[in-house]
Amino acid sequence: MSSPFDINGGACVAMVGKDCVAIACDLRLGMQALTVSNNFPKLFNFGPSTFLGLTGLATDVSTVSDLFRYKVNMYRLREERNIAPQTLANLVSSSLYEKRFGPFFVSPVVAGVNYTTGKPFICGFDSIGCIDFAKDFIVSGTASEQLFGTCEGLWEPDMSPDDLFETISQALLSAVDRDALSGWGAQVYIIEKDKVTKRLLKGRQD
Amino acid sequence: MADRYSFSLTTFSPSGKLVQIEYALNAVNSGVTALGIKATNGIVLATEKKSSSPLIDPPSLSKISLITPDIGMVYAGMGPDYRVLVDKARKVSHTGYKRIYNEYPPTRILVQDVARVVQEATQSGGVRPYGVSLLIAGWDEGVEPDSGDVQQIDEDGEPKKATGKTGGIMKGGPSLYQVDPSGSYYPWKATAIGKHATSAKTFLEKRYTEGLELEDAIHIALLTLKETIEGEMNGDTIEIGIVGPPADHLLGYEGVECSQGPRFRKLTKEEIEDYLTNL
Amino acid sequence: MTGFDFSNYNRNAALHARGVPLPKATSTGTTIVGCIFDNGVVIAADTRATSGPIVADKNCEKLHYIAPKIWCAGAGTAADTEFTTALISSNVELHSLSTGRDPRVITCMTMLKQHLFRYQGHIGAYLVVAGVDPTGVGLFTVHAHGSTDKLPYVTMGSGSLAAMSVFESTWKPNMNREEAVAICAEAIKAGIFNDLGSGSNVDVCVIENDKPTQLLRNYMKPNERGQKERDYRFPKGTTAYLNQKIISKEDMRKYISVEEASGDPNLMEVDS
Repeated sequence: MSSPFDINGGACVAMVGKDCVAIACDLRLGMQALTVSNNFPKLFNFGPSTFLGLTGLATDVSTVSDLFRYKVNMYRLREERNIAPQTLANLVSSSLYEKRFGPFFVSPVVAGVNYTTGKPFICGFDSIGCIDFAKDFIVSGTASEQLFGTCEGLWEPDMSPDDLFETISQALLSAVDRDALSGWGAQVYIIEKDKVTKRLLKGRQD
Repeated sequence: MADRYSFSLTTFSPSGKLVQIEYALNAVNSGVTALGIKATNGIVLATEKKSSSPLIDPPSLSKISLITPDIGMVYAGMGPDYRVLVDKARKVSHTGYKRIYNEYPPTRILVQDVARVVQEATQSGGVRPYGVSLLIAGWDEGVEPDSGDVQQIDEDGEPKKATGKTGGIMKGGPSLYQVDPSGSYYPWKATAIGKHATSAKTFLEKRYTEGLELEDAIHIALLTLKETIEGEMNGDTIEIGIVGPPADHLLGYEGVECSQGPRFRKLTKEEIEDYLTNL
Repeated sequence: MTGFDFSNYNRNAALHARGVPLPKATSTGTTIVGCIFDNGVVIAADTRATSGPIVADKNCEKLHYIAPKIWCAGAGTAADTEFTTALISSNVELHSLSTGRDPRVITCMTMLKQHLFRYQGHIGAYLVVAGVDPTGVGLFTVHAHGSTDKLPYVTMGSGSLAAMSVFESTWKPNMNREEAVAICAEAIKAGIFNDLGSGSNVDVCVIENDKPTQLLRNYMKPNERGQKERDYRFPKGTTAYLNQKIISKEDMRKYISVEEASGDPNLMEVDS
């Protein structure tokens, strides 16, 4: 039987630009080779300019996103403030490691702009909570190997929000076209300090 | 009559009082005075180290404690109860916060956690309330962007330069809280607890001004202490803790991004004596 | 953090029994080393994190803080080294606050080995613990099953053989700070170039008596990527999109709304 990470398919990528970040995912939900839905977003909002992307086993994607919606809402009630991307990253990390010996089959990605400093922040995790801090880009999902290739080739430092949108979109579309388990359209968020732009991309439907 | 309600279990009296808590407050009000003053750029905590006998070895006594690198605490009341609360406060700051978010709790969150410990002792079986009041002083980084150019218009219509950091989780800056045996907590600009709390607070009301600097606050703290102190004032009999600028020399390591030294530290005997000579 | 949650364990074990492979965790393939010198101790590490054959992170941090003068280099399962050192660091800090003394390296090493032994090797942390304390200089290795070693120079991780070859051929007793840093950096480079699990840069941490510890992040960068001559920047409008929604700062504020309750007294009965 295939790995739980490869049953439902899906891809997610985050990139850093100049004073902005972008995070994007495909929209496919499958059962092995059978596509069940072409509207299964894998990005979740956890406050102004803070996003969490989740790929992996779809049942765990739902469970984990609900779990963090609960945890972040509790944080916001207790502390009367929004959670910073860095703080969310540490919360995700410690929550996943708590299940060290019975993990969720997800590979999360956090992207956001820090409200206080205005600095862009991205990071990725393995399924047991080890954080990968990157200064350029983070990939996850069944198309991660393809995404490593496209991002390594297309990413440039200090891109403007417009440039970043083109780069992350092309990187994602190219990668998912070479992955049978991902694709069927994509969603992109361009996160700036005081503005978030959400765009829906058309993708191959095969 | 009150004796009927003085069993170890905290029980309501028919008039709606919890007399065990009132007894605990009596223990606080017979304790050595401690005070705290919030300044624009820091906080001072001060207390007297009273020894019942000249034979006591003063350096082994410590009444002001570091809880997290940016938060300190002092008490009035029962010393043993305080030490238990210090241990619990330090522990909860790790287990309830740092091990989850990889950062130390903001002052208000720590105060709420400590207050919960204190409250639980008023509602659990087989325990008595803590016989201490606490002053907890801490600095928060804040989440709002540093607005150094905040312009406020006062009554005369003249723009007044205000520092953005006035305390709290959002704006950041110093905050000073008092926690009582009941588990209630109050934020203060300046306050005192213990035997001479009332007279000390009257004195502080006269001396406190808005826009106080830390150095002035230390000065006022010593003057207030002088009004109430029973013995001699020197580096051995006075204890002072300050929340000030980050003391990077106390960090002990270099080269780690975004790390800064502790803001809370206790003044040395020599530093206290320097302030006393300038009094 | 010590208390693990096994709520998914049975599900995952059942899947595994039906032939589903276990998830691959990020591991620090790793070369880590340590070496004592006349006034302290140096530890060093490479900065590559791998997930199977994929390089997951090209510049990760494998030198972990325990206390100002006790640091740890970690190999094995990356999450395990990260969280085990963070847990011990937390306990060491609480212990040091309640005793009012500087923490000791041997205390830290003992806490690590007891924690790892309790988990019978399932926590895959392989560590080099180093530091200076009131009793002197300490340098230990701790294996995932809980065994420890005390040596003047140590190597661990998949690049340990390459690194040890440097120590065995060039180590000499009573080195000074510069010599110790140089031999550690050279040992890490041997791992970076000869072991596939190790790569990228050299991180060094120097812990000395009576001096602040120095973390020399990216002390050497022997694998800098060459500057690209051209770029693949796309002209604006390359990617067609079906629709877009712009969420402004004002909209984001609405994410939490604090509103005055309406004056209707029938809405809720509140005690007066």
